[in-house]
Amino acid sequence: MASVMGSREARRERRSIITGLLFISPWLVGFLIFTLYPVIASAYLSFTDYRVLAPPRWVGLGNYRDLFADHDYFWPSLGDTAFMFLELPLSLVLGLVLALLLDQKLRGIAVYRTILYLPSIVPAVASAMLWLFVLNPEHGLVNAGLHALHVPGPPWLASPAWAKPAMILMDLWGAGGGMVIYLAALQGVPTALYEAAALDGANAWQRLRFVTLPSISPVIFFNLIMGVIGTFQYFTQTFIMTSGGPNNSTLFYALYLYQNAFQYFRMGTACAMAWILFLLTMVATLIVFKTSARWVYYEGEAR
Amino acid sequence: MWSGDEERNFEKVLDYYNRNHPGVILENLGAVDDPKTVRAIVAGAPPDLCTLVDPSAVGTLAANNALEPLDDRFRASGLKESDETPAAIGQGRYRGHLYAIPYLMDCCALLYNKDVFRSAGLDPNRPPRTIEEMEADCRRITKRDAQGHLTRIGLRPIEVGDAVMIAMYGGTFVDENGGRTTITADAPRNTEAVAAYMHLMDTQGGYTAVNEFTSGFGNNAGSFNPLFHGDVGMTISGEWLPYWAYRYSPTTHYDVAPLPYPAKHPELTGTVWLTDNLFCIPSGAHHPREAWDFLAWTQSPEAQRMFASSLNNVPNTRDELHDPTLRAGAPWRHYYGRFLDLAESPTASYFPPMPVATLYQNQIGNAFDSVGYGKKQPADALRAVRVRVQQEMDKYRP
Repeated sequence: MASVMGSREARRERRSIITGLLFISPWLVGFLIFTLYPVIASAYLSFTDYRVLAPPRWVGLGNYRDLFADHDYFWPSLGDTAFMFLELPLSLVLGLVLALLLDQKLRGIAVYRTILYLPSIVPAVASAMLWLFVLNPEHGLVNAGLHALHVPGPPWLASPAWAKPAMILMDLWGAGGGMVIYLAALQGVPTALYEAAALDGANAWQRLRFVTLPSISPVIFFNLIMGVIGTFQYFTQTFIMTSGGPNNSTLFYALYLYQNAFQYFRMGTACAMAWILFLLTMVATLIVFKTSARWVYYEGEAR
Repeated sequence: MWSGDEERNFEKVLDYYNRNHPGVILENLGAVDDPKTVRAIVAGAPPDLCTLVDPSAVGTLAANNALEPLDDRFRASGLKESDETPAAIGQGRYRGHLYAIPYLMDCCALLYNKDVFRSAGLDPNRPPRTIEEMEADCRRITKRDAQGHLTRIGLRPIEVGDAVMIAMYGGTFVDENGGRTTITADAPRNTEAVAAYMHLMDTQGGYTAVNEFTSGFGNNAGSFNPLFHGDVGMTISGEWLPYWAYRYSPTTHYDVAPLPYPAKHPELTGTVWLTDNLFCIPSGAHHPREAWDFLAWTQSPEAQRMFASSLNNVPNTRDELHDPTLRAGAPWRHYYGRFLDLAESPTASYFPPMPVATLYQNQIGNAFDSVGYGKKQPADALRAVRVRVQQEMDKYRP
């Protein structure tokens, strides 16, 4: 069988490729200039001592060596960010629980869903300022509520021990975003599976575990990946609310990167930090991908 | 640098200059912060003139040749160093050269609430002169409620930067002798200063408890300012506070005093902490001569008076500090005038310009924190600061 293209087809093919490229050229140009070039530049700069106002000076692995030897800031900042991974299972479960609760055909269910979804669309900066007040140890709403229940309210953001849990609490307030995605996924579970399970005598918990969860596992997988990436880049709240304090308990990796880049003029170090973060995120994402085969079921796949 | 009301006042002065100096138009590019200025300089499109939101940046910019040296222009304009408050002009100097000109400065001293003093059994007309006296006053002023939570403390933790405590103790930050900039963060005097601060905090409940208490404070620019509201007896703050007292809490009785000194170092009496507003000319500016003409004008009596009376900061020229028009009028101007008196003090302090100034000040704050939360001893914390900052400093070869 011959599969040689005639020259007319080849020209047409080439023309259609060029036309396609022209159509996406605005995006392509922007991507090359504003995304790809800075990424490559930062890779180069991470091997230099670059103080922004002076030309970069090559130092090889010097920045990386200095970072790995920095036990006062670099490793603690990584540890602080790692602590926030505690929030990931909490927000996944909370989003799922809310979605299951609200996946019912009650009157006014749309109102409840909207109310629960609203916190996640409040801009991050606005919600940070709001929570600064809510978590105030003296006058905030949280401690006022705790005092009403005769429970001593912790100092939240004023205490090195409680500052990170306070931020986790703040993030869980936005669990409505995940809830909406799970709701959509729940609507997509075939009712035939539920009927079959009920016929087999499965109770509610067994239906949940053997029908619902596997069916929405791609969505759980998606939220998990997004959560991993987002946790590594956690920045806005600490920048607005605590600037790394008290006593560097909320000095997250991204904040320390920002300080190096824009306050200390150590752009080379900041670039090195950025690439370390990129590699860590890649590794974490790959791990999640590799293990996903065991628990993520895509519709239409053979078991 | 300025925004809101202050920006309008700033622009009024610029308009006045524009009207009286035909051929030159000064345009205020509002809402510019230091990183933006740095980016403009790096990109080769610098403004002709820029202010620095954070005067600490002058060292970094100067060390990287991003600013035009101004010594020759200064001399040629007939300006004299002796006309300036020494601490004012010193903040524009790096390694012996002048890179920035001050136009007004902030002066921080001790403010105390007389009513709080009275209710604590202290003489309201006798602010503490020594740090030891301040400690004793704090002990008397501190009050707790039935559950043992603090309801009032003596001294508010220093908001303008922990470095002020080191300055109050006569500590040093750098040693510029011998051609090499040596960071002296862990000098014995500095270690004593940190220990003294912690001791003072202990008399009013301890570092942790005080921080928890202060996190509940209201906005400074409002009637819930802790000094006006009686939550603290004393605070270290600046010349803007009398105006805010007048606006937000006119019934508060307060006064201004120099920063206390350690009893064994009476030569430090009259200390205040000064922070300049700085103007500089970036390298590569297209109109440096016109820019300099404006800078020279800012040192004239009329300019100083216009700036000072509209922005309510402290003038930086000696003559203007004695100007009676700034002290007359509204009653709060009397207290503002106290800052003008103190600004000329020979023991006035400021953070030395250097390329690593921001890092250094951050590190000092971290050191105080780690000592306050019981993680480190003062000597160790300050040694860590010295090592880290020196490492950075050495990367800037002369």
